[in-house]
Amino acid sequence: MRYRASRAVALLLAVALSAACLTSLGRAKRYYAEGQDHARALETELAVVSWKRALDEAGRACRRRPSTQSFTVKGLTEANLGRWPEAGASFLQAFALGFGEGEAWASDAALTGLAASFEDRGLEAAALRIYAQIIDRSDFKPALMLAAERRTNLILARAAGVDPGERGRTLAALLKTLDRLVDRDFACGLYHYLHAQVDGHLGDLRRSYEEAVMARELGLPSEKIGRDNDNQLVYCYTRLLDSLSPADRGPLAAAQARWAAKWGWRDDRTPAWKKE
Amino acid sequence: MSKKDVEAALARGVDILDKFLPLKSWLIFPVLYSACVWAVRRVFDYRERILAWQVWLDPDFVRTKPDGFILGFFARNDALNLAYADEIARGDLRVLRAAFPALYPVFGLEDAFLKALFKAEIEAADYRAIVVEFAARTARARDEIRPAAADPDFWKALQLIGMEAASLGLHLLRDEAIQDMIVGLIKGPAGLGPSVPPEA
Repeated sequence: MRYRASRAVALLLAVALSAACLTSLGRAKRYYAEGQDHARALETELAVVSWKRALDEAGRACRRRPSTQSFTVKGLTEANLGRWPEAGASFLQAFALGFGEGEAWASDAALTGLAASFEDRGLEAAALRIYAQIIDRSDFKPALMLAAERRTNLILARAAGVDPGERGRTLAALLKTLDRLVDRDFACGLYHYLHAQVDGHLGDLRRSYEEAVMARELGLPSEKIGRDNDNQLVYCYTRLLDSLSPADRGPLAAAQARWAAKWGWRDDRTPAWKKE
Repeated sequence: MSKKDVEAALARGVDILDKFLPLKSWLIFPVLYSACVWAVRRVFDYRERILAWQVWLDPDFVRTKPDGFILGFFARNDALNLAYADEIARGDLRVLRAAFPALYPVFGLEDAFLKALFKAEIEAADYRAIVVEFAARTARARDEIRPAAADPDFWKALQLIGMEAASLGLHLLRDEAIQDMIVGLIKGPAGLGPSVPPEA
């Protein structure tokens, strides 16, 4: 009798724990999807809150019953939150548990996390090779965006120390890569932001201005990048105005005034977030 | 809105934060001020914002800016233009580029936390001291906020403080008035202001 009762308790416990685990994973997926919806609506702050919740739930699911799905959701959430080393570890755990076919995105995320950790340890050449590979062949957008951003920053930093000819060739090649990314996903504000940065380095202020305007319109992944983009836009606009004849200034000033009014800026050079 | 009500709410905030951060911590001012700024702007991912300043400290794009952008940044900011007039006139990019990673997040990106962290230097127009102190002070802030940041109650308390201050009409006060109010409520080292760590 006692044996039967303890078996029943064990069975009940197993069912309860299993249900709790499923609930955690289910909640993690729901929060992750909510975060994606917010991100698509350019509501970065709300997206981050949803992803944080998803991460808590996915972590709980991984502890209770490790599975490919729970580690994948955890890794995806960590990737969205920019926690690439943790994302890499989660994806490797998922790999260890075994993926089915057609899940190359997980391998791309893990590779990008690996490259980020190489870069942090000073292994820049190795990181650059992996970033280039991700940019060439990955379709997993979070990995692609991070690889593009990190590769652009690394190349710009390295180009600062070389002779002007070599620097020009390096930046021109970088621009071609960014052009390809823009062609593949024109609606990604980050690619336009990176393009504007490189254009600025090459002295193409008009293109840099236009790309910064597009980046602002399409939305950027973080407030710090958004503010930097605004600064880049104002810098290019001011320099362009100075370089034009009085007759040619009118159309540019009028266009910038229209954008500034649309964005709620205080004037054509002062974003709303700037202190008065 | 009564200024006294806001002041009373901030005083309660100081008392509460005192329990989470080391006694009379110099971190109370930047944390409380940035919580107020974000509450007023109705930004409710206050936790992300406060932790995000750690990211702001090392934005990769800061070290890759072209010379023209750096020169333009110093030239367009009246206070920095005055402080670095000689370097700007000489086109001394070695000095300007070295100062840029510290000054751009504070004045270019207007990070509320960093602005509060360097309030004393900003008020004294001692911008070169920000450059000298930047790495050490921000590293120390990161270390000291870590134990409190691990406590979920710290974030709940911070949200309540910010929301209470916002509901009382904090947004009707000037930034400087809010800062002065918080400074007045914290008994920091005389003459230095509470944003300065004791050994700085």
